[in-house]
Amino acid sequence: MQNEKNRTRAVTDVIIILVLTILTGTILIIACGANPADAYALFFRGIFGTKAGFTEIFVKACPLILTGLGCAVVYRTGFFNIGAEGQFYVGAMITTIIALNLTAVPGILRLILALAAGFVAGGLWALIAAVFKAKFNISEIIVTIMLNYIAINFLGYAVRSFLMDPAGNVPQSAKIDEAAQLKVLIPATRFHAGILIAVACVFVVWFFLDKTTMGYELRAVGLNKRGSACNGISVMKNIVLSAFLSGGLSAVAGGIEVLATQKKLLEGISANCGYTAVLIALVAFNHPIGVLIVAVLYSAMQVGASSMQRQMGVPSSIVNILIGVVVVLILARELFHKIKIRNNKEKGGRA
Amino acid sequence: MLEQILTVSFMTAFLAAAVRLAVPLMYGGIGEIIAEKSGILNIGMEGVMLSGAFFSFAGAWFSKSLMVGLLCGILGGLAVSLLHGLLSITLIQNQSVSGLAINMLMLGVTSFLYKLMSNGQSYQQLETFQSIALPGLSSIPLIGPAFFNCDILTYILYIFLILTWLFYKKTNLGLSFAAVGEHPRAAESAGIHVNQYRWIVMIFNGVLGGIGGAYLVLVQLGVFTENMISGRGYIALATVILGRYTPFGMFGAALLFGAANALQIRLQTIGVSISPFLLAILPYALTLIAMLGAIGKSSEPEALSQPYVKGSR
Repeated sequence: MQNEKNRTRAVTDVIIILVLTILTGTILIIACGANPADAYALFFRGIFGTKAGFTEIFVKACPLILTGLGCAVVYRTGFFNIGAEGQFYVGAMITTIIALNLTAVPGILRLILALAAGFVAGGLWALIAAVFKAKFNISEIIVTIMLNYIAINFLGYAVRSFLMDPAGNVPQSAKIDEAAQLKVLIPATRFHAGILIAVACVFVVWFFLDKTTMGYELRAVGLNKRGSACNGISVMKNIVLSAFLSGGLSAVAGGIEVLATQKKLLEGISANCGYTAVLIALVAFNHPIGVLIVAVLYSAMQVGASSMQRQMGVPSSIVNILIGVVVVLILARELFHKIKIRNNKEKGGRA
Repeated sequence: MLEQILTVSFMTAFLAAAVRLAVPLMYGGIGEIIAEKSGILNIGMEGVMLSGAFFSFAGAWFSKSLMVGLLCGILGGLAVSLLHGLLSITLIQNQSVSGLAINMLMLGVTSFLYKLMSNGQSYQQLETFQSIALPGLSSIPLIGPAFFNCDILTYILYIFLILTWLFYKKTNLGLSFAAVGEHPRAAESAGIHVNQYRWIVMIFNGVLGGIGGAYLVLVQLGVFTENMISGRGYIALATVILGRYTPFGMFGAALLFGAANALQIRLQTIGVSISPFLLAILPYALTLIAMLGAIGKSSEPEALSQPYVKGSR
């Protein structure tokens, strides 16, 4: 009975949020002086119109899936890591160093080594915040923000000094040679092998969280720290483990961006995906499959919106507004049921 | 290199630049202290400041009046803080989530509105607030030109810092506001309306954060650009921690961030080759070290970022 009530409530929430979001989008389009019907037509033509456009969704979604996955893993333990941005950069840097310098190692092996080293480095970077939290109980939020800025500025230094392309004077690294690049899988598009890695990670993480004892312990710590500790689950061990995994996944996102999309290291390579990832994980309620779906939908919105921007001048910042609106509405969904809550209170229930 | 740096003219210019770069952080920081003292963590300070910056520019542009611009900036910041209040106080949601969502939302909203408003044209710089030299004080060597030859908003900030310090140190009401952040249940049983107090601090949070954003437009740059706060809101959060939740501690911390920033610019102009990026890391690393140093004698409000539900335990 209670369960069924919760389910109908969840469904009405989703419908209300969807309707309000589409309504907001439409109002914004009208505010630009554009015809919503034409704009939506362009939006969908941008997504489904061409092979390049459609595959571009997955190119854009790839880093978001991995960083979003990283966030989802760690939020399950109640550790609010917003350091995906910095971990992404650390991964991108280490991957670049290995891919550029270990030229004695043949291509495919070097590629794997580079991504693995990136994973470990990103994991260790996240571990700093985890140790601060688990050992000294210092808020991970501020620590991860500080670590982000340290990583971003260090990258700025790196691409101007030891990682700078000796052949040029632009702040970026030399080009990764073809052998160590992640290959494009569909000709005439940018659809690359890294996307398959990202999707594989989704299922591995899903299996780990939902089907293994270790995953169960992670979730238990997030749900009830004291209860877990009393049942012999080490809170510290689980926070550290999840943070390491989380940092690693975000770092692989950075590595793939270097090896597949940009083919070199440059500033601003993350395009803020570390921060977007936080919201994607939240909208997906920290479920790995959910992250995959939300990241793809978000990227589709971006691809569609940039086609609107190109052809109608509707600013693509609409997408930022809409994801912000979605999260705010999810947080505010209690408002939809305000009246019901009042009724419950009168009956003596707790709101 | 050292001879070049240790001259009065270099130090004077450096210090003046440090103060100017620090003032927006200080506004954000003092707004954040007031909120956090009563238990509300607003990670959305970045969004509050961005809103303040955009609306102050729009207001000043359309009305041709700096004062109207400032007022619009304040209202813009206030609206964002009140949204955070609604989500975190009334709807008892996770404050960090709400703050991050607000940042993303405001980045979109301000960029969108700016594109609508500008429609491709570029704006001329607005006339900015003039500096007013305080007679006597401004002729003190070194610190005079830096601290006492500023614009009106900086002086208002000084007054605010002192008032905030007095309020929490010397008044009963200040103690009540701090109690709301330390132990809301005890405060409630002493007759304090916890959530009402938390709404009041969100007003201050928005007004001060809004001025911080407006300062960038109305004093420093005279224009708005997309994402122009670019992380200053997050740095303001760091100055609060580094300054141990006290107004003057935060003042010092913000000055440190401002100085690191100013040093980069100054060193470049005299041609010293320390990477500005390495220099920029310094204050962040210091904040982390300071957090480690504060272990055991935490100054963080006990109930920070915990929602309060009346009658729950």
